[in-house]
Amino acid sequence: MVKIGFYQGCCFQGQDAHMFDTMKETFKKLDVELELLEETTCCGGNTIDEENRKLSYAINARNIALAEAKGLDMLISCNTCYMVIAKAKRALDEDRELRKEINKLLKEEGLEYRGTNKIYHLLDFFRDVVGYERIKKAVKRPLKDWKVAAYYGCHVLYPKEIAIDNSDNPSSLQEILRALGAEIIDEYEHKDACCGYHSFFTDKSMTLKKLSKILGSVKETGADIVVTPCPLCFKSFDIYQLNLEKPPMVPSSFLPELMAYAFGLDKRESGLGHHLVKVEKG
Amino acid sequence: METVKLQVFRYDPEKDSSPYYKEYEVPVEGTLLNALLYIKDNIDPTLSFRAFCRSEVCGSCSMRVNGKVKLACKTSMKELVETWKGKPLRIDPLKHMNVIKDLVVDIDKPIEKMKTLIPWLVPDPRVVPTDPMHESIIYPEEMKAYKDQINCMLCFSCYSACEAVEDNSRYRGPFAFSRAYRFQVDRRDIETAKERRIRYSISGGLWSCVQCQKCLYVCPKGVKPAEDIQNLRGQAIKKGFTDKPGAKKLKHYVDWIYATGQINRLYLPEEVYGNKEAKDKLTKAFQEMGVEVWEVPKPTKGLMKFRDIYLEILSKEDKALDLDFSHVRKIDKMVSDIFKADICTIVDRVHEREDKAKGLIGKLKGLIGGK
Repeated sequence: MVKIGFYQGCCFQGQDAHMFDTMKETFKKLDVELELLEETTCCGGNTIDEENRKLSYAINARNIALAEAKGLDMLISCNTCYMVIAKAKRALDEDRELRKEINKLLKEEGLEYRGTNKIYHLLDFFRDVVGYERIKKAVKRPLKDWKVAAYYGCHVLYPKEIAIDNSDNPSSLQEILRALGAEIIDEYEHKDACCGYHSFFTDKSMTLKKLSKILGSVKETGADIVVTPCPLCFKSFDIYQLNLEKPPMVPSSFLPELMAYAFGLDKRESGLGHHLVKVEKG
Repeated sequence: METVKLQVFRYDPEKDSSPYYKEYEVPVEGTLLNALLYIKDNIDPTLSFRAFCRSEVCGSCSMRVNGKVKLACKTSMKELVETWKGKPLRIDPLKHMNVIKDLVVDIDKPIEKMKTLIPWLVPDPRVVPTDPMHESIIYPEEMKAYKDQINCMLCFSCYSACEAVEDNSRYRGPFAFSRAYRFQVDRRDIETAKERRIRYSISGGLWSCVQCQKCLYVCPKGVKPAEDIQNLRGQAIKKGFTDKPGAKKLKHYVDWIYATGQINRLYLPEEVYGNKEAKDKLTKAFQEMGVEVWEVPKPTKGLMKFRDIYLEILSKEDKALDLDFSHVRKIDKMVSDIFKADICTIVDRVHEREDKAKGLIGKLKGLIGGK
């Protein structure tokens, strides 16, 4: 049994608390125990950086230090949380002065950033720690007749310093879908476009244009569903899609949900039953 | 010798009715620029592309390989073949600009866009001597603020890769904002110019950037436009441009994260767009599916200390007053109404409960003789 500290960010609480239940169940089937890093806070969503970058570094030094204090590596599911925390880690590892200054503040809480633990995103954790073979073995209900469009999202591929796969031609998501037995669609026109999640509250028209392009091109392929390892891309697809004038109604899935379903959980337990754009398949 | 097929975009508007791809077999050695020169020297002298220095300085040879922006002289053929696993390599001109011929694009449009952001120094006479016989000294310490931005060589890689340019034709482009920001942090530049740059940045799409980070990825010089855009946004708010949705979004983040350690998606639509129905609609939609909705996150044990760290950083950076304490008090009241105690008491209770649990586990372990 592998044990890892799970960083939830803003995505696995509130109306999304059920998504954490899905994660836990999915990982249990892979013999991985998720220990929730309870005292962690929002990573700042790459938005706090607009206010002050040092604040973003401090918040995330604290988040990482909480995992280090438990002697655990850190698993992050959200692409943006992953990028923001990985960027902070790089800054803290490279800049001794910054680290010293922030550690002085963390001391009050009895914490210290040491830079000793590893930070994983879902995709590299599945590849490097769990292994695709183990995923394949956990499958009880192969997604044989599912046509699944693979969508990575941006913040696991860019910038290069924090990328967890080949940024130009990534393969880790397809490998997982292959292990689940799905028919993979990884060539569609706007597969590399940004999901627009982060501009919904800065320039909404941008989000809607992105969604209409991506989901439109997914629809053209005849895919049953588009799957993403990022809960924010998933929200953009499932919730913001409904803001389009003529929503293409393309169902989407957060990767662990689809895995849970393939591992034998029913639609409701897997979370696939909780979507605003209904998942018809299965 | 190992070879690979390049499918190169060809188009001569004076002769061709539409673009087409022509295939060339080239050796897998050296750089992509070497491969293109190989074609020109040995196979087809009619192929046009821009290149000059061959050493990542002039920024002329940027283009796309299978859709991804690359500087040809910096891109190893071997790596390309490895990345694309032997697949043919499709070479296209940069996006978002008109093609003059083959891989040569017209860069006038992005240049004109950049100029609207005053990417030059407007000297402050109080700092810069007006007498040309006197030097205007810049100290190494000051240069740190823009040492990366000045490396931009106008290769337009970021302009081609940009998600905001793609869907907003008015958007000035990542490099343009980086060049503007470079003068925003220059001590010699006059305040009125800084103010104008912000104004023009906003009308040029400052809030349209989606923060995809592709500009950081494709920049051959390590400029970080998306981060400069974040800095410009912060400056815009500091200068009082707070009416845009993006400014309200940031305020939401700053206040809510301080107050609860989390943002609150239920309240974002109301606080940014004044949309009061969104919260109830979303709550209802989830409740109908049997999903429990929390209005505010339960304060965690470390919350009060987290607040101290947060405020201490903001104070040090002279930004403590950016926190809207009346908003924070409102959030505190929501928390106390829901959890039936004031915030400190709630945090203490969590603390107590956890300590008790720990004590209990300790006792149990003692009983069964474990450590």
